[in-house]
Amino acid sequence: MRVLLVEDEPHLVKEISEFLVTESFICDVSTSLREASENIAVNDYDFVLLDLGLPDGDGLTLLDELSQGNASVVILTARSEVDDKVKGLQMGADDYLAKPFSLLELKARMQAILRRKGGWKKEQFPIGEFEVDFAAKTIMYAKTEIKLTSKEFALLQFLLINKNRVLNRFQLAEHLWGDHLDDDYQSNYIDVHIKNIRKKLGEYAATDWLETVRGLGYKVKI
Amino acid sequence: MKLSAKFLIYNFLAKGMLLVAFLALGPFLIEYLAVKNTDSLLEEKKLEVLAIIESEGIESFISEENRDIGYGSYNLLKEEYILIEKVDYVFSSDTIFVEERILDDASVPYRVLATTFMSGEDSILMEIGRSLQTIQEFKDIVFRIFVGIIMVFLILSFLLDYKFANTVMAPFHRIVKRKLSSIDQPQQYDYKKIDTNTEEFQILDRSIADMMTRIQKAFNQERTFISHASHELKTPISVLQSKVEAMFAAQELDHVQMEKLLDMQGTIAHMKKTVNALLLISKVNNAQFIKTEEVEIKALLEEVFEDWEPIAADKKINFSLQKTVSHVIPDTNKSLLLMMLRNAISNAIKYTPKGGAILVSSEFGERGFQINIKDTGSGIPDEILNQVKEGLVFLKDAEKDKSGFGMQLMFKIALYLNVDIQVDSAENGTRLVFLFP
Repeated sequence: MRVLLVEDEPHLVKEISEFLVTESFICDVSTSLREASENIAVNDYDFVLLDLGLPDGDGLTLLDELSQGNASVVILTARSEVDDKVKGLQMGADDYLAKPFSLLELKARMQAILRRKGGWKKEQFPIGEFEVDFAAKTIMYAKTEIKLTSKEFALLQFLLINKNRVLNRFQLAEHLWGDHLDDDYQSNYIDVHIKNIRKKLGEYAATDWLETVRGLGYKVKI
Repeated sequence: MKLSAKFLIYNFLAKGMLLVAFLALGPFLIEYLAVKNTDSLLEEKKLEVLAIIESEGIESFISEENRDIGYGSYNLLKEEYILIEKVDYVFSSDTIFVEERILDDASVPYRVLATTFMSGEDSILMEIGRSLQTIQEFKDIVFRIFVGIIMVFLILSFLLDYKFANTVMAPFHRIVKRKLSSIDQPQQYDYKKIDTNTEEFQILDRSIADMMTRIQKAFNQERTFISHASHELKTPISVLQSKVEAMFAAQELDHVQMEKLLDMQGTIAHMKKTVNALLLISKVNNAQFIKTEEVEIKALLEEVFEDWEPIAADKKINFSLQKTVSHVIPDTNKSLLLMMLRNAISNAIKYTPKGGAILVSSEFGERGFQINIKDTGSGIPDEILNQVKEGLVFLKDAEKDKSGFGMQLMFKIALYLNVDIQVDSAENGTRLVFLFP
């Protein structure tokens, strides 16, 4: 999949593009509106990750050009105006991610857009002796559905999307609650949810694929 | 009390007091005038009788037959009488006095004019009397008319004052209603001038408009500052987070280094939360959120309950959702509402000890729809609560773990969404009531 990253902050460009390459995306970078416009005219992108505050203008102006193609657009911005978010989504952007964001969150949002647009054929993922269905938001053992709360499912799904990678409590908490909940203990709540997931699934089969990495976090190992 | 009502009461009382004073003096005045009038009449009568005596002689009144008893006569209704008799003395001047006379066994007061004059060699006394009963009746009639006129005057002047006060105060009410009460944010201020020729209200209208212009300018400056500050703060944090995450994912580091990275990530998470909370408080203050959503509270409470139930259960807290009623809140913002309730419940769970209880319910109370969160936690100290209610963002003397922005956010959001928060905090627990408009 080909991604155009439109961002002018060099450190961020480096980190995001390296992350995308690690995740098997082909990544082009534009650091200005003009450059981005040229890239869009020449190449066909699956995703455009668009920063709004660019040196030669407002990233929102690019949305008109992008509406001609098939690219899914995720706005990445440090701005805090609500209007920008509303305007961006109204002008055809698929999602809006406020800086500072976690790269894992960016990946999860991109996958959610793919699923929504039907670009992701596979919705069922086997995990141990279970099968997780991202579309139906269910987890099955044989033909039995195991009831998880929405937070537990979201946690499992996030770990699964980032399988074989250690996710720490801060990353998991940010995915579940965002950055606004005023609770320094919220990362400890992750342990509670993991414990409950293990308990609920453990009644049917082993959950050794859900690993605790001592002192660091959790990992789904497949 | 309304200013127009005060004017009305003042006018009514002032006029009323003057009129009462006038009424109290009225009988004496009337009596004085009536007696004066009677005296004039008696004087006229005296002159008339003297003219008759002069033209016809005293014999037409005192003849040989009544020489000793003199002449005495009442008119038909006994309102007046005349007495002419010979006496042995002469007054140096006329006298007027009140005298009781017995008529048909009843004592009747008369105003009497007594005069003496010489007729030939005889000195003659003439008394002309007029009944004071007539004066009393006249006095009563005039007094009643007086009272009637005064009452009509009072009622009419009250109605006119009422109408006048309302007309004069109407521009003031228009200023308050159209320009102040009906707006939530300075941006909604209506700059169209109020139609009035009262100078004071014109000055008030102009002054409020000037003040609003200054407030709007300050709001816009703050908004621009927030936008720039957020960009300047968020981008470096974003870079920092990406770099730490990339290192964390690289799996080339040993466990100790990974733990250090995790500490860094914790610090970054704290920075993010602080920046976001400050920006959010500022944005709520500046009304930078839309309030156009309809939210069904029962479903929202169930959603929040489901999120926190496992956390409470892990802490052995008896967390229950009871008596929830269906209610749709119009013109609100779902994410802010959710944030407000999440902060309240997260606080309740944090400060409720193991084995305690938290009860969430919703109902229609005396003041409308309300959500109650009752816990057996340690309660919120008054000094902290007062600071939050006063709108302070950075609290003084707050313990480290209580210095987050959760409470401030909760109160700011409530203020923005027109929700009234009541807190009953005691040693054995806290009861938080969210009263919806």
